[in-house]
Amino acid sequence: MTRINELPVTEEMNLVTAVTHTLRQEMQRDPSVRVMGYDIGPIGGVFRATEGLFDEFGPDRVIDTPLSENGLLGVAVGMAIRGERPVIEMQFLGFMYNAWGQFIYNLANLHQKTGGAMKVPVTIRATFGGGIKPLPFHSESTEAYLMHTPGVRVVCPSTPAQTKGLLAAAIRSDDPVIFLEHTKMYRAFREPVPVADYTLPLDKCRVVQEGSDLTLIAWGNMLHYAIAAAADVAAKGNASIEIIDMCSLAPLDVAPVLASVKKTGRCVIVHEARRTAGPGAEISALINEYALEYLKAPVKRVTAFDVFFPENQIEDAYLPSSQRIKAGIDAVLSYQF
Amino acid sequence: MGEKKWAEVRPREDYFRILNPDGSVEGTVPEVSRQELLRWYEVLVETRTFEAMVLRLQRRGVLSVAASSRGEEASGLGAAAALQVGDWLFPAYRQLSAVLYWNAPVDRIMAGLMGNTPEHIREHLPLPPEVPPGVNILPYPVFLGAYVPLAVGCALADKLNGRKHVSLAFVGEGSTSEGDFHDGLNFAGVLESPCVIIVQNNQWSISVPASRQTAAATFAQKAVAYGLPHERVDGNDIFAVYDTVKKAVDRARAGGGATVIETVTYRILDHNSADASAAYRTEDEAEYWKTLDPVERFEKYLFNQGILDQATKTAMEERAEKRLREEIERGRAVPPTPADNMFLHHLQGEAGWSTQHQRDELACELAGGNPFLDMTGEGMQ
Ligand SMILES: Cc1ncc(C[n+]2csc(CCOP(=O)(O)OP(=O)(O)O)c2C)c(N)n1
Repeated sequence: MTRINELPVTEEMNLVTAVTHTLRQEMQRDPSVRVMGYDIGPIGGVFRATEGLFDEFGPDRVIDTPLSENGLLGVAVGMAIRGERPVIEMQFLGFMYNAWGQFIYNLANLHQKTGGAMKVPVTIRATFGGGIKPLPFHSESTEAYLMHTPGVRVVCPSTPAQTKGLLAAAIRSDDPVIFLEHTKMYRAFREPVPVADYTLPLDKCRVVQEGSDLTLIAWGNMLHYAIAAAADVAAKGNASIEIIDMCSLAPLDVAPVLASVKKTGRCVIVHEARRTAGPGAEISALINEYALEYLKAPVKRVTAFDVFFPENQIEDAYLPSSQRIKAGIDAVLSYQF
Repeated sequence: MGEKKWAEVRPREDYFRILNPDGSVEGTVPEVSRQELLRWYEVLVETRTFEAMVLRLQRRGVLSVAASSRGEEASGLGAAAALQVGDWLFPAYRQLSAVLYWNAPVDRIMAGLMGNTPEHIREHLPLPPEVPPGVNILPYPVFLGAYVPLAVGCALADKLNGRKHVSLAFVGEGSTSEGDFHDGLNFAGVLESPCVIIVQNNQWSISVPASRQTAAATFAQKAVAYGLPHERVDGNDIFAVYDTVKKAVDRARAGGGATVIETVTYRILDHNSADASAAYRTEDEAEYWKTLDPVERFEKYLFNQGILDQATKTAMEERAEKRLREEIERGRAVPPTPADNMFLHHLQGEAGWSTQHQRDELACELAGGNPFLDMTGEGMQ
């Protein structure tokens, strides 16, 4: 594995331009990589993630399809078992419900069903997450449904450089990978991204900041809110917070989480997903099963609520804010047995 | 922005048409009273005026996204006018003319566009005591095509109970690629559901042209595989739409089953305010379709027939402008939805422990407290 900081030549990219850059690089590298989806051709996707690729690679490499999520997913699986490497764009994760049949029956199950004989190297790039006040079903954070399904990898980057390494790894992986791109982060900030190609491991979380009093776990856009909340807490007192970016949601990278909690004795999990049976429930259960005797306080989940993503006017009250995360941290830090 | 655009493919014009673009007619004009024709015209004026107002408000940041039906107004209106009181309407999101025809309250629509919850809107914008009976209208869908099986089931429920109502659903041509469209048609055929499915073919599904949505020659002919009758009409001709939908609705009501109707029209503006159609289609396309405009065409007809004159037209426009402005202001004056509304109407009866706890957490947070201090499950202090 290449170390990113050993790659000297960089370009400033935001998350969406990092996606475009990586797609281009992977398409140049491997002719079996084909980008597919509706609205991904001349317009370059509704978020412009495939901008310019149609011009550059033509309609056989950038396949603008009819409007059917289930059709798209099923056809991609069919191509994948014949040696293609489709990268499909799920315009919004909230429309993937239509593709549940192909997702479960074929994408996730075929490898196991054929005793490993068939591989399904499909990457699903799905935009997800709230905060941009769009229409209903455009803000879903339903990664728990995906994580609950065996046979698929689920990853979620939170920075442009990580996006490049994880997306390249997803495309090169022989497993189906769901690659979650948070819409609020697409153009939120830029950072230098190495121009040379590199991959990052799909099954490793990332320790963003080391600390000794509390483990704070988040991913996607929430990671940035978590970092802000932790900085706030650190500025006010002397708590030292360890932050883990849970970019590898399935398979979940458990060992670093347990190691961290055994060190800090406290944990707060942050996610935009609904709470009940959400990703945090699994992480919390693992901690209770395997690190109970190290805990100095209950594990708390700072999440959205168990309701459908609400109307624009009240979405800010639904999504966890840095303030809500800070309250979670404070509650756990102040707990006395 | 890319260089390549999709080449224009004009739809075949061998469809049913009564009202020509120059306002002249061919064949038989359906029997509609003068008064009803003027009502149609007024709804068209209101639809255009309201959508223009909403787009302006969107540009000013008052609401986040707005879509328009400009150039497609006859398709929604002609179909809606063929329904009767007690029927069911399953709109897509480009049939404002259909819902205005059936007196949908504009203030409530506005408050909805502003991102308020339905229960909050109902509380703050009560309906007047005397609401004339109308058709039943489902909320705008976002999930494409998913209302088609619903309309089929809704109509089936009426049929099984001997009620003579009809359900009518709209989908865009792009949405005909979704499985739900096919499921719905298939069930409608086998179960002889009294419904009408309208494919409002406006040539574009965001950036994907109709020519790449299907290899079939028309969208109407998709009905063939399901054993359903189908029609294809000039969707910018209000008479052709009305006449065809009326016959299909009457047939369904009389026990004759479902019909699929393609209304051929064009999306003049961007997909919605977040879109930039210049990225994928050429300007001249819209220029051509503007010559087929459904409102101008109908207006010419009304003038030719002496049903409408300049004074009436101006008065109507002024009335529409004034009424809509007032309704929009009423909608905008609704106070912000309280955040707690998100917990309403998930299940009947008492909320479960988790919902109640989360409601309490939010209340605690909004009151400036720390919602995470409950360490025993006994509730917030
Ligand atoms: C199931 C689903 N998939 C995708 C979308 C995103 N989307 C919204 S509108 C649209 C195009 C729809 O085209 P069409 O059915 O032709 O209707 P039009 O907008 O042209 O009226 C798409 C892809 C959605 N809302 N729902």
